[in-house]
Parts: sequence; C-alpha cells; structure tokens
Amino acid sequence: MTRLDETVLGPFANEPVLELRRSPVRAGLDEALTALDSRLPLNVPVLVGESERHGEELASFDPGSPDRVVAQAAVASASEASEAVAVAERGFREWREVPALERARVLVGAAAWLRERRLELAALEVRECAKPWIEADADVCEAIDFLEYYARAAVALDSGAELVQVPGERNDMRYAPRGVTAVISPWNFPLAIPCGMTSAALATGNSVLLKPAEQSPACALMLVRALRAAGVPPTAISLLPGEGEVGAALVKHPGVQTIAFTGSQPVGLEIVRAAAEVSPGQLHIKRVIAELGGKNCVIVDADADLDEAVPAIVSSAFAYAGQKCSAAARVLVHEAIADRLIERVAGAARTLVVGQAEQLSIDVPPVIEPSAQERVERYAALAAREGRIVARAGGVPESGCFVSPTVATDLPPDSKVLNEEIFGPLLALERVAGVEAALEIVEGLPFALTGGLFARDPATVREVRRRTPVGNLYVNRGITGAKVGRQPFGGNRLSGNGTKAGGPDYLHSFVEPRAVSENTMRHGLVV
Amino acid sequence: MELASRDRELRAALFRFVDVVPACRSLEDVARHLRGFLEELPETPPPIAAAMRIADVRAARSALGAAAAAGVKHMAHRFIVGESPEAAVRVLRSLWEHGVASSVDLLGEATVTEEEADDYARRCAHALEQLAERARSWPPRPRLERDSAGPLPRANVSVKVSALTPLLRPDAPERGRRDAAKRLVGLLRLAKQIGAHVHVDMESLDSREAVLELVLELLSEPEFADGPSAGIVLQAYLRDSPEQLDTVLGWARSSGRSSPLTVRLVKGAYWDHELVQARQEGWPAPVFEVKADCDRNFETLTCRLLDARPAVRVAIASHNLRSVANAIAYNRLTGGEDGDLELQVLRGLGDDLQDALAAEGFRVRTYCPVGDLVAGMAYLVRRLLENTSNESFLHEQASGTSLAQLLAAP
Repeated sequence: MTRLDETVLGPFANEPVLELRRSPVRAGLDEALTALDSRLPLNVPVLVGESERHGEELASFDPGSPDRVVAQAAVASASEASEAVAVAERGFREWREVPALERARVLVGAAAWLRERRLELAALEVRECAKPWIEADADVCEAIDFLEYYARAAVALDSGAELVQVPGERNDMRYAPRGVTAVISPWNFPLAIPCGMTSAALATGNSVLLKPAEQSPACALMLVRALRAAGVPPTAISLLPGEGEVGAALVKHPGVQTIAFTGSQPVGLEIVRAAAEVSPGQLHIKRVIAELGGKNCVIVDADADLDEAVPAIVSSAFAYAGQKCSAAARVLVHEAIADRLIERVAGAARTLVVGQAEQLSIDVPPVIEPSAQERVERYAALAAREGRIVARAGGVPESGCFVSPTVATDLPPDSKVLNEEIFGPLLALERVAGVEAALEIVEGLPFALTGGLFARDPATVREVRRRTPVGNLYVNRGITGAKVGRQPFGGNRLSGNGTKAGGPDYLHSFVEPRAVSENTMRHGLVV
Repeated sequence: MELASRDRELRAALFRFVDVVPACRSLEDVARHLRGFLEELPETPPPIAAAMRIADVRAARSALGAAAAAGVKHMAHRFIVGESPEAAVRVLRSLWEHGVASSVDLLGEATVTEEEADDYARRCAHALEQLAERARSWPPRPRLERDSAGPLPRANVSVKVSALTPLLRPDAPERGRRDAAKRLVGLLRLAKQIGAHVHVDMESLDSREAVLELVLELLSEPEFADGPSAGIVLQAYLRDSPEQLDTVLGWARSSGRSSPLTVRLVKGAYWDHELVQARQEGWPAPVFEVKADCDRNFETLTCRLLDARPAVRVAIASHNLRSVANAIAYNRLTGGEDGDLELQVLRGLGDDLQDALAAEGFRVRTYCPVGDLVAGMAYLVRRLLENTSNESFLHEQASGTSLAQLLAAP
C-alpha cells in the first residue's frame, strides 16, 4: 500500500495558523471584517446540481448582536431533497470514474481556494458563529488540512490492500466508493467539520449532499463554492440548507448509502435508528458515521503541575464558550490538592473577559443562540442549588447571547450538571480520593469522547492510558484543539461509533472493499 | 550533574524529577517518582540501577526519597541564594564585599489569578525595601555604585511581567500590558523613592510585545523622568532582535530621562521552547538555529549597544568567553571606560567567570534567584536549566575544548 507521504502530492503538513502574536498579522483582521460587513447579509441558495434557487426562508444571525443578519438562506424542500438524491446518483456515476489522483488534485485545489480567502472565511465565522479570531482561523486551517490530508490518504487507499498470493491465482482487494453520502454538520466548527466529512466522501469517489446546521449556512456555502470552483462536478456536491426536516428526509431516503453526522447525541441516535430501516427500493445497508457529544473529564493527580494544569483546564472549558464537543466539563481532582486547584481555577475563571468574538482581548464569546443561553443558565442555576458556585466571571454585555463562565463544585454524583452535556461555559470540579476513584467515574460514563490527565508519575500515566475508554486522551495538556494527522479525533461509547476524523483509517468508512481472485492457470500453464 | 551532562536522556529524567519533587507528598512518593523516571531510561548506569533496586524495598524507599530530596536541596544551594530576601542578603552582602553586584529574581508559581499577581507585586516591593534598607550598611564599592552616567543603585530587583498579571495573551498584548501596568507602576514609584533599580526581564516571544511596550510606555510617564533606574532585556537569539534594538534606541534617544535605560543583552533562555512552538504551529523559527549565527548577532548587538551610550547603559550577560571578551575589547578599542560596561552572570552557572572578571576590575552583576529551595529549584529547572543547550560553555570546558576553540570567531 502506498504510504501517505509517498504520493505525488508531497508530504502532508498542517496549515500553519496565523501568528497573531505579531502585530502586523493582527492588523489584517479588522480590514477583513469590515469588508465582510459591507456585504451582509449574504445570500445562501439551495444548490442542486446546476440548479440554484434563492430564498429567504431561513436567516442566520450574529450571536453577539442579534440585529445583524449574516445570511438569508433558502430552505430545501422535501421534493428538492428527493431531486437532489437523484442528481447525486448521477454525480456519483460520473465522479467515481475520475481517477483517485485526479480527485485528490481537485481537493488540493479546493484547499488552495480556501487558503486564498483565509481572512474572509475567518471573518465569516466570527460573524455567523461568534467564533473568536484565533478559533475561527484554526477552523479554516483545519478545513484546509482535511482536504489536503484526505486527498493524500485516498490516493494511498486507491492502491488497495496487500493479500497473500500463491501461484496460479491473482488476488487483490480494492476500495470502491459507497455512493450517495448525506453530510449533516454542526455550526460549532462551521467550515472544518462539514469540510472533513465532505472531503472524505469526495476523495474516495462518493457524491455528497451537504445539509449544514441552520445556524451557519453561509460558512457551508463557502465550502461548496470552494469544491465546485476546484472542479468537483455540481452533481457530486449539492447544498441543502434547512432545519431538521431536510436532514431527516435524506436519512430516510433509499438512495442515500452513507450518512456522516456530527452533532448532538439525541439526533445522532435517532439517525442511527432511522438509518436501520430498509425502505422499498433500497439496495444498501446504510452506514452511519456518528460523532456525538461528550461529558469530558480531566483527572488531576496530586503530583500534577498546577501551573500548567490550571490554564489548560480553564481554556479547555471556556474557549469558544465551551461549545466544543471536546471541551472540559468535569475536573476530577485528587483531594490532597483539591483546595488549591479549586482556588486557582476559580481565580483564573474570574479573570475571563466575556465579549464580542471580533475583539482579540476577550476570552469568552457569546453562545450560539438564545436557547443555548437559556439552557446554560438553567444548568448554572441548578448547580447553585445542588452545589456551590466558586466563580462567575462578571460583566457580560447586555444584548447578545452572553453567559458568564461559571465554575461549580460540591455537586452530588447524580446531579444533571455532572451527567448531561451542557455545551456551554460551565465547569464542575469534584474532589476524588485519587486516580483510581477518578477512573471508576470515567469508566462508568456513557460518554467517551475526550479526556485529560495531569500527572507526572509514569506509572499513573500508563494506568490511565490503559483504562480510560475515551477516543482522545490528552496527557499534561489541554483537551481541545485536535490537529488533522496528529490527533485523529472521535469518540467511543455513546459519543460516537469510533471513526477518527483526520486519522489514517477514516476513509474506510466511506468505501466498500471488494476482493477479486482470478485464476491465472490455463490448462496447466500460469499466464 | 556530571552524570547528567553525559547523557541527554538521563538529564531529562533528572530534570523531570527535580521538577516534581515539590509536588510529592512524602519521601516514599519522592522515591516512587524517581524510580518511575529512571525506569523509562533505555539503559541504566550501575549506580542508578542500584537506586532502583533500593526503591523496590519498602523500608528503603523513604531513605532513598530522603537522599534524593537532599540531593535536590544541595543542588539548589548552588543556584538559589536564599529562601527570602532577608535570608539572601547575607550572600548578597558577601558578593558585594568581594566586588560583585547583584540582581534579585523572586522565584514562584506561575500567575493565573489576580490575587497571585498582587502577591507577586507585594513580594517584589518587599524585596526592594529590604534590599535598599540593608544595603545601606554595605561598605563602599565605587566601581559598583557609579559609572560615568551617574550613581548606580545597590538594590536591584529583576521582575517578570508574566508574574505581574494573569492576563498576558500573545494575540492581545494590550490587555496584559494594562493589567501589569497597575502593579509595575507601584514598583517603579517605590524604587524611585528608595533609590533602587527595577529590571524587567524578558520571557518567551509570546509576551515580548506586551513587555517592551509596557516598560517604554511607563518610563515615558513624566513622573519617571528623573528615576528610578530601570532596565529591559534584549534577546540576541531572536532573529528580529536588531529591529527590537532600533525601537529601544529610538525611544532611549528621545526619552530625555535623567537615568539612562539599562539594556541587558542576553542570548535568551527560551530557545527550546521557541523552536518547539514554531515547529508545532508551522511558523518560521523566530530564533537562530545555528549557534554561530546567534553568537555573531550577539557581538553585533554588543557593539551597537556600546556605540549607543550614553543614551543607554549596557549590561552584557553571557557565560560565553568570546562574547564577553568581545564586549570588553570593543569597549576599550572605541575609547570606552571599563566602568561603563557591566558584565552579568547567573548564580551557580557563571561563578568562576564572575570571580575572574571581578578580579580583573570589571563591574560584574550576578543574577540571583531567591525562593524556596525545593520549589524554587523546580521553577529554575523549567525556566533556565532545561533550556541550557549542550553547546553551553560550561559543558565544552568540562569536556576539554581548547581555549582557542572557545574564543574562535563565530
């Protein structure tokens, strides 16, 4: 099998994030935002093959100032969804015939298109999703990384698997695309996540119907434009903006073979259930790639370096207002250092500045929408009733979906605050007798996405590695910010079905293996 | 330490050990960690294998832990002059009597809360007051107390901006700068009032913009036009240090302060950190990757600084014999007084050089960490020792490099 770095595309390297510590680099940001603002609201059509239908049935807003409409989008109807599947079937037959290397070159071209518009795209994320610059830039880079990484991985995969060979027969196994892929993506990584799922499907020769989150249609449009501009046939990538109904229609459709979903656990489990139903005319068992939520725990042992642990915990919990599936939700701290850790985490949380995503000087932007704000406040009130609030950062702007970062402790083990995904800036700290007690908690959770460990005894690190079920364990560092190729990302248990985005085997979910054994004997002669 | 410089992996294990000792809860815990780090070595030299065997025996673990902890403490005595400014004064006075000035650096935890920042500022103020008061009874040492630009304070404290604020953000330097300013201004006022020197250290590149702008901005305030004596640091390992020097000299020439800004030229202590961070992020390396390039830049900056007097005072902080010799020679060649050049060394790392230079009549200032011996040693490991590259002068000297090679042009 060809190795990833041996293809003609050259070795993969992560796209460098902006070096924002240098003032000339920072100077370009305001300009990009002003340029974008003058074009708002953007118009997001339903794009099915060559057809383009505009509409204003859906709007996306700036979470930091809800009066600002970022995009007006058309909503794909049931008949448009159905039509899109038919178009995608045509697109699939066309696109799968394109040689893998050619497809890879197209994806690398899409990466270049994104790279040329980095600041514009980051500005759009700042506005549409209230992503702070540093996070928005990282998201654009991750999108570029997915394109570059899967392009190479697909070329490597195309050479097939090595099989045992004996005289008189020729055995090979190749990977064929599965078919029409529905990609249903979230708003919190509005370019990278849809790009990752879409580019994995396209790189391996599938066609894609992209249904982006209703909160971030404009970011998704930019992705589709990048892919089409680079040469993906319009029939192989359609854009179907809308809310849950569009996604549900795609999941049920007999012509959809693969569903790649990243989002909440209830929706993900519903997709798994619905995809298991076989409709008349359906020829495939649908495959679901589900990347769901987490309730991520950071274990802090008594020998932890708190100078490193405290900032890492605070940024893992509160960066992007905790709206990452990888974010830290619970800290399980050894009782010997619990008082000191709680004091320092609380003190550090009180320094957090809540404000508009466009300001580099803030730590915590608004949450995505009013219902998210209400949800987090509800959990914060519950935490105050059932436990003790040790920090609430003060001073949040009045309008906009802002929530004060909150640190709670002394919660009962069955508290919803400890057991449900909150997806906001609320962190719970718990004292435990030691690492063993912490591991028992982690092993008992239905979630297994990310986890953290701060400990310096190598034996402790080995033990936690061995026993923790999470998909991504981070040792002596923050638990967010997985990089393509370096930290293949994805959870286990009810957090996901074990696929690893940005990892060496992710593409296997988008292909079906076909083994061929050919008799090469002709009347006693090996030909 | 001699074992350590022979074997990079063993050295790393020992650094990790020294780093974790303050967090250990018992001597047994100390022994367990020591064993854990040594186990990860590819091969274990006989004395270490013996220590590991001892760690297997429960009764002996406490003894091994005690011995190892004592070892750390012993090592700490070489680098840390005292647990408090009061305790340090005995050593500082002795240095002074032997013709060596000092700058005190207060070791401590990282600052992550406002309370910790306030506490560090209080400790700095306390150190300034204690040093200024106690130094009054020290015998006169004209070479250490005056240069041609005027008097030099006896009390000298080095402060870290990252400890004065929890809000340093590389992408938003103004935020940390504003917060640190609240506390630094108090220290500058105190230093002016009691006649002490405040030197603001430079740390990693992530905070450079905040640190430099903070100092130049505060010293531009009218209330500081006639004091205190203050200084900043220029790191020669940074590729853009020549442009930084342009900024500093531009400011110094137009500031009109009565006491010139002291610029301490160092190689820089965060080389590994800068390079690793740049590799991880895919950024161009901000530091010279070849030692000779860095040494050459150090010499160029030395000459530029010496030429810029009297707008600045110049302190050359290096253990590299050639760098120090270059500063002395260039100063003399251009008609400068020896007394208008300060040479700085690190306590514990540059002691021999310190004595030799002082004996030759130069003004030497030794950078003296002060703090808890065990915890302080851990901070020191993280900040200084871990970044001491194998190319260090000490190592080369110990392994028998000839003087001619050490003095070769970079």
